[in-house]
Amino acid sequence: MENQTRILELVEKHGKENVVVVLGGAEAEASGLAAETVTAGDPTFAGPLTGVQLELPVYHIFELKDIVPEDVWEDQISMMEMVLDVDEIIKEVTTYREQIGG
Amino acid sequence: MTNPVVKAASYCLYHARDMVVTHGTTLMVERAKNPDSPLLEQVQQSLRPFESVAAYPPNQVYIGNISPGELAQIPQPWYENLVEPQRQGRFGAIFPLDELIAMMKIADSFELVVLEETFARQMAERLKAHPLFTETDMAILAKAQTIEEIESLLSKGTAVPLEFDDHVVGCIKQAHEVDVNLKADVMFENLAAKASGALALRHLLWKNEIDPSSIDYIIETSEEAAGDMNQRGGGNFAKAIGEVCGCLNASGSDTRSFCAGPSHGIVNACGLVKSGIYQNVVVVAGGATAKLGMNSRDHIKKEVPVLEDVLGAFAILISADDGVNPIIRTDAIGRHRIGTGSSPQAVTSSLVTDPLQRAGLTISDVDKYSVEMQNPEITVPAGAGDVPLANYKMIAALGVKQGAIQRSELDSFVTQHGLKGWAPTQGHIPSGVPYMGFAREGILQGELNRVMIVGKGSLFLARLTNLFDGVSFLMEPNPGKSTSTTVTAEKTVTVGVTLLGSEHGLEEVVRGAELAQSKHKNIGVVAIGPKGSTSLPVIEANTEEEQRHVMENLLKSGEIDACVTMHYNFPLGVTTIGRVIAPATGREMLIASTTGMSAGNRTEAMHKNAILGIAVAKALGISDPEVGILNVDGALTTERSLRDLEKEGYSINWAASSRAGGQAIMRGNDALTGGCDVLVTDSLTGNILVKMLSALNTGGSIESVGYGYGPGVGEGYSQIINIVSRASGAPVIAGAVEFAADAAKARLPELVAEELKRAKLVKTEPADAVRKPPAKPVDQEITGVDVLEIEEAAEALWKENIYAEAGMGCTGPVILVTPEDIELAKRKLIEFGFINQ
Repeated sequence: MENQTRILELVEKHGKENVVVVLGGAEAEASGLAAETVTAGDPTFAGPLTGVQLELPVYHIFELKDIVPEDVWEDQISMMEMVLDVDEIIKEVTTYREQIGG
Repeated sequence: MTNPVVKAASYCLYHARDMVVTHGTTLMVERAKNPDSPLLEQVQQSLRPFESVAAYPPNQVYIGNISPGELAQIPQPWYENLVEPQRQGRFGAIFPLDELIAMMKIADSFELVVLEETFARQMAERLKAHPLFTETDMAILAKAQTIEEIESLLSKGTAVPLEFDDHVVGCIKQAHEVDVNLKADVMFENLAAKASGALALRHLLWKNEIDPSSIDYIIETSEEAAGDMNQRGGGNFAKAIGEVCGCLNASGSDTRSFCAGPSHGIVNACGLVKSGIYQNVVVVAGGATAKLGMNSRDHIKKEVPVLEDVLGAFAILISADDGVNPIIRTDAIGRHRIGTGSSPQAVTSSLVTDPLQRAGLTISDVDKYSVEMQNPEITVPAGAGDVPLANYKMIAALGVKQGAIQRSELDSFVTQHGLKGWAPTQGHIPSGVPYMGFAREGILQGELNRVMIVGKGSLFLARLTNLFDGVSFLMEPNPGKSTSTTVTAEKTVTVGVTLLGSEHGLEEVVRGAELAQSKHKNIGVVAIGPKGSTSLPVIEANTEEEQRHVMENLLKSGEIDACVTMHYNFPLGVTTIGRVIAPATGREMLIASTTGMSAGNRTEAMHKNAILGIAVAKALGISDPEVGILNVDGALTTERSLRDLEKEGYSINWAASSRAGGQAIMRGNDALTGGCDVLVTDSLTGNILVKMLSALNTGGSIESVGYGYGPGVGEGYSQIINIVSRASGAPVIAGAVEFAADAAKARLPELVAEELKRAKLVKTEPADAVRKPPAKPVDQEITGVDVLEIEEAAEALWKENIYAEAGMGCTGPVILVTPEDIELAKRKLIEFGFINQ
């Protein structure tokens, strides 16, 4: 809920075109839900993004391996890369991103 | 230095069906937003009956009837593959909600819990024979009110209902008119945490036959806050729980760190034990009503029953090294440091691989890891995944990164070193500690060699920091069994023996003292007498008179903890409690008493002897001794006065004579068979009995079996001096040394003082003493009374028929009264000059 408020504030302050959302969710369904919230609006109708179609570009951190410095990746993410279902998470997030043509 | 050991662990669950809807926050918030929300009705419909909760496999794992390994073999969903619904388990029990409600009443010190009459009567009827409940508990349950009175309280909006099977069976009143931290819902939550924790601790003490008075310290580790509006988390659940469990010698405090609280508690307990500050520390936590039905919205959506319908509780005893129980390694504690950061990688390194590296181990050297042991059937439908599984994968992945295992071994590592989760999602309850009972057992049986317990907590929930938290520790077999270096227990007590005065010469006494030393490595025996007579350390004394002076000085300075001697003049009021071996059965029996006088009047003395005998029995580890009265002059009067004392709430476990219809009055036959633990008699008869039973096989010239006349005990008497007959042989002297050491270890004078207080035998006030008005719960403080006048000030109020207690507040002495009396009490205290205007 609070994250939705913060995203809304950032968009209002900087404009849609200047905001990119990077997710760190550990699970595909939850990541998909977050991606849907910042693109099509909150599907649970519970937060401030209910009915708000922000259509923000959204990525999971696993999709951004190429632009993260190698040592940071090694320190912060490489372990979870082994643990989590990376393909499934990327597939979910991509689905929502592609719906907005991003 | 001693190693802290895991001596015992208990785990209890409480079916909290009705509380899911009334006091789980998910549904409380839902009701506040929309009182007609369909979710409320859906949850109500989807709640499970007690039988299904007891038959739910993860719950049977929690109380120890099924192992985590066996759970993994049961096909999921477990709620459709039920097992035998057993209430009792190896580690604990599952209680139905009505029993928890009864315990909330018993645990209530401020008359906040009101039970309906019929319900209270039914509960008293059911629980009176239950081993975890006492007669005092039944007396508390007897105080109930009518349903009309309860409904009237509820209609005022200052109380919340206690419901069982959709019926109101009582209520909980607010503890203050305006204080939000004492409102009825908060008291409900805190009393549920206190009651559930207290039952787990009672179970631990009962199941493992631990004397409650042996507990030195209690650490409570739940996630609740006890306090008022000026000190929201003031505490102290630990002492409140200890009080309900009879832990009279314990102090305690609360430790908090969200879900990591219990693991911090265990590490703190280990520190206290290892340093020698305390010998026995209990870590305890009750359940959280707030978390009931936390994920019920998702469970309903996914057509899963509302599985978050139980409160969890546990109690774990950490004790000084006994050479047997598994140890906790204090050189390999893992901790999440403030500078660690919060990436999963950093957290897992700090908690798992860092401490292992320090101990020269790798992740494969640990047989089992106990992490957040949440039941996946609860968390997966809620989108939180299989929490233990995710944790095991992280440990394995870190192992791959550090080269301890191959990437291809990742999955097999998880299967081999992991466990299926079974704990209810009660925050602190699943966090690492649920496996300690299984780990202790597995290590004792040689099936496990090393277990790591990891507790983690989400500190950001309190919005004070974004930090994460966690601690971990290793459990291993006690090396006391296999290596010689740690076998020798520390010398815990020193006992003196005076050498002069025996009818069989000094040599017989020396033999007895040396025999005691060779038999008991944990006792230091010191001889008091002529130099050069023994290999034991000797403090020189060449006459009986000198021996007495030396003994008194050594006791006073603490150089010896207790002393065995042939003759000593105790003050009036002090008498000795003898210990004999019944010749017909070999059963040990205490004779109360054998020398000295506990009171001038014969029956008054026998009455007091019974209480003193009970105290000595407790010092020997007999928590509820059987008491019989020898059929001597005054026996019946003594029995009557003791039965009167029982009516005032002092409970006595009466023995039954082996003779027909004999009841608690013991005949000569019973003295031979040892028909009771404490045989009450006048001291002259007791003296004769000890002599006869100790010299039965020698024809009388030398006493060859038993423990002598025992330690002198009485009100205000703080030394431990054990008397033996001048005709004692070496075995009796050795027995007396052992007896004296046991008394010193158990801090007998403190036990005696407590027992006398319980039996209302502490010196009574003179005849014109002020009568106390009937007790009421007091929570209002009046400060400003001089500490020297505090008792007097309370009595002055009693004279005015105002109930008051003298107490110690944070800033000085206080007089405690009820809110109704405070104004009048203040005025009176000013009038009498105890406080200033």
